[in-house]
Amino acid sequence: MATPDIPVTGLFFAFLLLAIPIFIMHKTRLPMIKETVWSFLRMSIQLALAGVFLTVLFEYNNPLLNVLWLCVMISVAAYETVRKQELNIRKLYLPTIAAFVIATTLFLIYFETLILQGGGLSEARFLIPIGGMLLGNSLGGTIIAVSLFYNDLRRNENRYVSALSFGAQRTEALLPHFRTALKSALKPSLGNVAVMGIVFLPGLMTGQLIAGLSPMTAITYQIALMFTIYTATTVCVTIAIIFTSYISFDEFGMLHKEIFLRK
Amino acid sequence: MQAGDKQCECSRGHFLRDKEAHIMEEEIIRYDNVSIVFDGKTIIEHFSLPVCKGDKVILRGPSGSGKSTLLKMAQGYARPDTGTVSYRMHEIDADTAWTIRQETAYISQDTNIGEGIVRELIAGVFAYAANRTIPYQDSLGEYLTMFSLDETILDKDFRSLSGGEKQRIVIIISLLLGRMIFFLDEITAALDGRMKSRVADYFLSHEDWTVIAISHDDVWYREGVRIIPIGGK
Repeated sequence: MATPDIPVTGLFFAFLLLAIPIFIMHKTRLPMIKETVWSFLRMSIQLALAGVFLTVLFEYNNPLLNVLWLCVMISVAAYETVRKQELNIRKLYLPTIAAFVIATTLFLIYFETLILQGGGLSEARFLIPIGGMLLGNSLGGTIIAVSLFYNDLRRNENRYVSALSFGAQRTEALLPHFRTALKSALKPSLGNVAVMGIVFLPGLMTGQLIAGLSPMTAITYQIALMFTIYTATTVCVTIAIIFTSYISFDEFGMLHKEIFLRK
Repeated sequence: MQAGDKQCECSRGHFLRDKEAHIMEEEIIRYDNVSIVFDGKTIIEHFSLPVCKGDKVILRGPSGSGKSTLLKMAQGYARPDTGTVSYRMHEIDADTAWTIRQETAYISQDTNIGEGIVRELIAGVFAYAANRTIPYQDSLGEYLTMFSLDETILDKDFRSLSGGEKQRIVIIISLLLGRMIFFLDEITAALDGRMKSRVADYFLSHEDWTVIAISHDDVWYREGVRIIPIGGK
């Protein structure tokens, strides 16, 4: 089954759609026009670049190049995690990157060898999109969790201090804050999982259906990926918090104030 | 940690009855030439205070004078900018701080200690590795009665309690842990008059308990209590 390309004029009509939200924003004086236009421009340029890049990547299909690209993705993901939560980048960047590397590598290998059974790790066609989905999804969760963990600790400092004074070890005293963080990180994905297939078809499935794969093939991929993503997110959040906590506390068990950029 | 053989130098005064004198020579906490700098301003300078076993000490001073910080130093939540704080003749460092936290009790007026059902909150504290062997169930009822709380409070959400109820629950947890050295930061501020004196009575009546407290409540200011003025220049 051949998949028709969207012609340039088709893309133009897609862009034209934006006129409607802009018109409504203009009439209701909702000051979001600039942001909307800018975001969509940025997205288009990024995707165009990605298109060019992926074409090259798929053409060469060089394992080294693939892994290199994965590294770039991991670095950006870790950078975004630390930057978004206004924590000290210099201090927390390395532990966060380590968390992403471990979680992503572990579950990519698991997915390729035990689930896909023979996709080939070096195959750009698998490595890049699946690695990207694992990263993209655990990225959101990790941003929420790490930032919530430290903000919760700062806001409810007395809970932590009183746990310590009640005789808790550092880990025991941090556990309630970890629970809050992990719960918030996983809640949105659980919501998505519950309505998947009925309310919306996830991107991967849409792509495979358009590419002409049978719906059954598409859903097996999707099911396998959802399990992997959920687990990868949990693992990534857990080790990101464990790794960053080694740097964020002094030997008295007190949180370094300088890990926050703003007071 | 062993008590040192050095005799405590605290000026216990004439109120000490002779029969207690022999057990009361152990030094528990000593502040030595402590300074606290806050936002570039020195708020406490050359503060020295030895506290011996059985002492009842009240730190008195205006807010912002650094009293709470002094108290936090005793469990290693704050550190002096200069000078030293020692516990049982050992300077408080990263290792001793963890021991102190398991041997002494620090209660602050901030009662935000957690969330959830009171009973589970208490059970959580006694699930810590260090507390697992402490039998607390039996004494819990006694303490509730002593501080005029009904058993039904155990099934309520901690955050729905009033300030005074929360404070009493925190005090009860500390008492259940069986500690004998207490650092108390304004723990009667949220209580009503009758309860203020009951709590103060309870802490001050145990002769072998060591208590360093911050309070503006008159109930703490009584005979036998050392009053240490802080700041207020």
